[in-house]
Amino acid sequence: MTGSILDTIHINNYLILASFLFSVGVMGVLFRRNAIIVFMCIELMLNAVNLLLVAFSTMHSDPGGQVMVFFIMAVAAAEVAVGLAILVMIYRNIGNTDINFLDKLKG
Amino acid sequence: MEQFIWLIPALPLLGFLINGIGNKSVPRGMSGLVASITVLGGFILSVVLFLQLLSDPNLVIQQKLFTWMATSTMEVDFGFMVDRLSVIMLLVITGVGFLIHVYSMGYMHEEPDYARYFAYLNLFVFFMLILVLGSGYLMMFVGWEGVGLCSYLLIGFWFKNNDYNAAASKAFIMNRIGDLGFLLGMFLMLQTFGSLSYDKVISGASTMSVGTPVLTAIALLLFVGAMGKSAQLPLYTWLPDAMAGPTPVSALIHAATMVTAGIYMVVRSNVIYVLAPFASEIVLIVGILTALLAAFVGLKQTDIKKVLAYSTVSQLGLMFVALGLGAYKTALFHVVTHAFFKALLFLCSGSVIHAMGGEQDMRKMGGLKKALPITHLTFLIGTLAITGIPPFAGFFSKDEIMASAFATNGWIFALVCFCALLTAIYMFRLYFLTFHGEFRGSQHQQEHLHESPASMTTPLIVLAILSTIGGFIGMPEIMHAPHLLSRFLKPVTAMAESYTSLHVTHTFEYILLVSSVSILAIVIWFSHRKYAVQKHVPAAPQELSGFQWVLHNKFFVDEFYDAIIVRPLRMVSSLGYRWIEQGFIDGIVNGFGTVATSLSAALRYLQSGAIGFYMIAMVISFIVVFFIQMFL
Amino acid sequence: MNILIAITAVGVLAMLSEILNFRRFLYPISLFVMLVALALTGMEWSHGVRYFNDMLYMDNYAVVFTGIMVVTTLLWFMMNENFLNGNPRQADFTAIISFALGGAMVMAGFSDLIMLFLGVEILSISMYVLAASNKSEPRSNEAGFKYFLMGAFASGFLLFGIALVYGATGSFNLREISEFVSENNTDMSAIFYGGVLMIAAGLAFKVAAAPFHFWAPDVYEGSPTPFTAFMSTVVKTAAFAAFLRLFSTCFSEVSTWWSPVLAIMSALSMLVGSIMALRQTSLKRLLAWSGVANAGYMLMAVVSLNEYSDTALVLYAAAYSIASIGIFTLVSNMTNAGNEEISSLHGFSKVNRFPALVITVLMFSIAGIPPLAGFFGKYAIFAGALKDGFVWLAVVAVLSSAISVFYYLKVVVAMFQPAGREAVQLEFNPGQSLVLGLVLVLVVVLGLVPALITTLI
Repeated sequence: MTGSILDTIHINNYLILASFLFSVGVMGVLFRRNAIIVFMCIELMLNAVNLLLVAFSTMHSDPGGQVMVFFIMAVAAAEVAVGLAILVMIYRNIGNTDINFLDKLKG
Repeated sequence: MEQFIWLIPALPLLGFLINGIGNKSVPRGMSGLVASITVLGGFILSVVLFLQLLSDPNLVIQQKLFTWMATSTMEVDFGFMVDRLSVIMLLVITGVGFLIHVYSMGYMHEEPDYARYFAYLNLFVFFMLILVLGSGYLMMFVGWEGVGLCSYLLIGFWFKNNDYNAAASKAFIMNRIGDLGFLLGMFLMLQTFGSLSYDKVISGASTMSVGTPVLTAIALLLFVGAMGKSAQLPLYTWLPDAMAGPTPVSALIHAATMVTAGIYMVVRSNVIYVLAPFASEIVLIVGILTALLAAFVGLKQTDIKKVLAYSTVSQLGLMFVALGLGAYKTALFHVVTHAFFKALLFLCSGSVIHAMGGEQDMRKMGGLKKALPITHLTFLIGTLAITGIPPFAGFFSKDEIMASAFATNGWIFALVCFCALLTAIYMFRLYFLTFHGEFRGSQHQQEHLHESPASMTTPLIVLAILSTIGGFIGMPEIMHAPHLLSRFLKPVTAMAESYTSLHVTHTFEYILLVSSVSILAIVIWFSHRKYAVQKHVPAAPQELSGFQWVLHNKFFVDEFYDAIIVRPLRMVSSLGYRWIEQGFIDGIVNGFGTVATSLSAALRYLQSGAIGFYMIAMVISFIVVFFIQMFL
Repeated sequence: MNILIAITAVGVLAMLSEILNFRRFLYPISLFVMLVALALTGMEWSHGVRYFNDMLYMDNYAVVFTGIMVVTTLLWFMMNENFLNGNPRQADFTAIISFALGGAMVMAGFSDLIMLFLGVEILSISMYVLAASNKSEPRSNEAGFKYFLMGAFASGFLLFGIALVYGATGSFNLREISEFVSENNTDMSAIFYGGVLMIAAGLAFKVAAAPFHFWAPDVYEGSPTPFTAFMSTVVKTAAFAAFLRLFSTCFSEVSTWWSPVLAIMSALSMLVGSIMALRQTSLKRLLAWSGVANAGYMLMAVVSLNEYSDTALVLYAAAYSIASIGIFTLVSNMTNAGNEEISSLHGFSKVNRFPALVITVLMFSIAGIPPLAGFFGKYAIFAGALKDGFVWLAVVAVLSSAISVFYYLKVVVAMFQPAGREAVQLEFNPGQSLVLGLVLVLVVVLGLVPALITTLI
């Protein structure tokens, strides 16, 4: 085994990339109004986390981080399934997927 | 036996539940029977327990029920503890209690609310047992409050009479003042010893030196509690008023058991008091003052129950004198004998009142000896016992108090003797006025005079026997018989006895014996002459003058309290209501409400319902926190 | 471990019941299995077994919280007999509630951050579905969607925080993390602190602490009432169990760093929750806001981390769950009658004496009036904050409980007012009456003897 990939590309780069991806996801969630795109941005946030976990896993030479990635992918899939189902239901009821239309509950 | 201790209080509780829940649907005969049998069961168990303790001098049964509260600095448990002190109290409570339950079945025969009466009475016994069975001050406090509640309920048993309700409230309030002292004492103990259980407190206290300020403070605060419950100066005025309750209640609660709770508490804490000489002196002074004051007032009362009530206050004062002197076993001895003869006297007076159709004024009685032979004889025994004529029970315990007083301080001894003399005077006045001379009541009453039924006279006879022989458990040294009670209680007060020694010479005891008997003989002779032969009848209150008038009006203590406490308090509270409550507090509360309402109107806009805004708010607040934490 | 199997078995059975056609036995089966689960929980007590390669650690803390949640779920099943029995989606609801309870249990007993994440997600995804379960009702859709979107968003934060902590310490295991932190607590890297903060934000969302509380009132109001009851009891208890467990085992060494943040969140939650609850006219929404305020109180236990935090939190969570489930039996009947307004309760006490009495006692308890269970919970938590030097926080807490008395008593007063035109007839079925009786006993007994539950830890 030669040295780890982290010798060539330092861990900080992964950290910065992941943070950047995460921030893009957060911005998307905050500023896009179409629910589908908001979902995708949340997926982006989760993928940023996955990237980070894989990088850290290599850094610590500990497989735990990669195991966690599989769990996150599984859970994310389940989450999106539920989310899309709810979205379909909403679309049937109010004919729209704009998140700002949902403001009947307040006060 | 140990695993059945819980049954002792549980039985009366069961009785309470049956009579309390069943109330009117329980057949009349049943409810009295159930109540009596549950207490009898407790008595039998107590006897078994007593025998067990008798065989093993070091046996102390501890049972933890559950932890009520545990924190870093303290641990408060609920549990039972039976030692030689509590078993004596158990026997008195269940034994005398049972007799009074039986008596009540006859006395309350006409009462429509029969079941409620027995429910209260059983509840009282339950709480009283909890009080003496507890393994710590907290459990004692639970019982303490419980018996106070039952006392309130029973004094106001005939709640349709407003005076009776006032008497009940008075008892409750006076007791609450005392309870405050008890409560503060418990807080202080908790802070000092980190526990409220007897063994921890006692072992903690015994490591401290004599006169430690915190011990003195605890002792004084506990004594304030005892003042309320055991009717000592200045909190005694509720007890005479408490006679508004049914007479058996007066006998059980306001003479034989509940009012001695204060004594029990001090005996239980004897180590603290021994180490707090100043507090003991206060106990002594309060005791002797109360004893004298109440005895004086008793001289001029004309209500048969009031005389007995003041006599109770006076006797309790004597017990506190013994406690103040450090003679803890003597005080408990007097508690036991007093329970016998005072219960007897009250029950006899109940029998008299029963016969007289509710009349309580001695001026309307007289010559009842023929109509009520058993009551008369038992009352006479009670009177002889309380005045301290040998060989009746009161003689031995009172003699011991006198001897302890003599061993400590000549003045105290003189005052105790004087108090005993006063006791004899008012008791024989009571006896001769009631049973001798001529009948002074109405024609109608005379025709209906009758001896009470067997359910009432049997307890009288039993108590009379106990009042006669009860003193033999504590013979003085000169009689060459062992002092059984003192020997039995030795483990309880062993620590205290190493600090005080109260021994008198044999010669002194002989002198005391002879002189007290001869003085009492003179008193009896005078009373007999005055009330039985010359047929002197006390004057109506309006004809009294001078000191007699002051005595009849109980030194105006009630009026005094009314003037210096009740009225100013009312004034302050009405002023407070107008200015502070209506002006200030309401203003603040309303202002508070206004502010909160307007704030919520503003916050409402944040809760706009728009999901995008929610998430932005979350992220912004996160970023703010993040920057403050990471970069500042 | 067996508890988890038993609980998920209900879920699997529920799904099978549709296929094998024994749905009519499902309700008794679920009650029975909950009782079994309770017994199994009791059997775990004081053994402290570590399961799944030290992913799940059933210490007494986990056992007591699991016990509280199982009892609450049992009461939940009992109060919803009419809602579940005969409902065409009974099997779905039973299954999802069981899975949610499984997730809640994992949150109480996790000893690995992976398990924390899985527990949170199992619970949350189940709740998203249930919140949106009233398909034809736009309010329910909206509640489910809001819950889902914001929950997923918050999960992202939680996960990023977990990843950062993993990066800094090299492990997901709580024991290893706490060892690592106590060895290097002077020179932890910045990503660790960032991670702690993000985890705190993610969990604060789950417990609905301000300023991450916005979802709670809307979701509570929009969801079908039975599931609101579940959210405000089991979900809240589980989230706090996880919060305290994580912060007291892993991050206690650096508590000076995060406790001011949580203290501010706690104070904000109490004030916002109480003040907003004041103006509510719908009982359901009032309870939602009071849930925010109560999250603030419970957060105080995490803030003032000391050896009594866990007992204080257990006591509070138990008192709160029990009282809430009792009050929600009333709310669910109001929902059935079609009116959740507090004013519709006028005249309630005349018709329903016993429920009125119980609800009054519960309101007193939750408002912290001695000697009921809620009082001791509040007392323990406030005393902890004072002991740890958070005097200002305790002052805010007392102030906020003073406000809370107003709105809790508003409900009580309404029940005892004479009936008006708006009054509706509410009927309590035997199961609900039994629930009310049980919670009454529990609230009084826990108030008299709080040690019954605090000595279990």
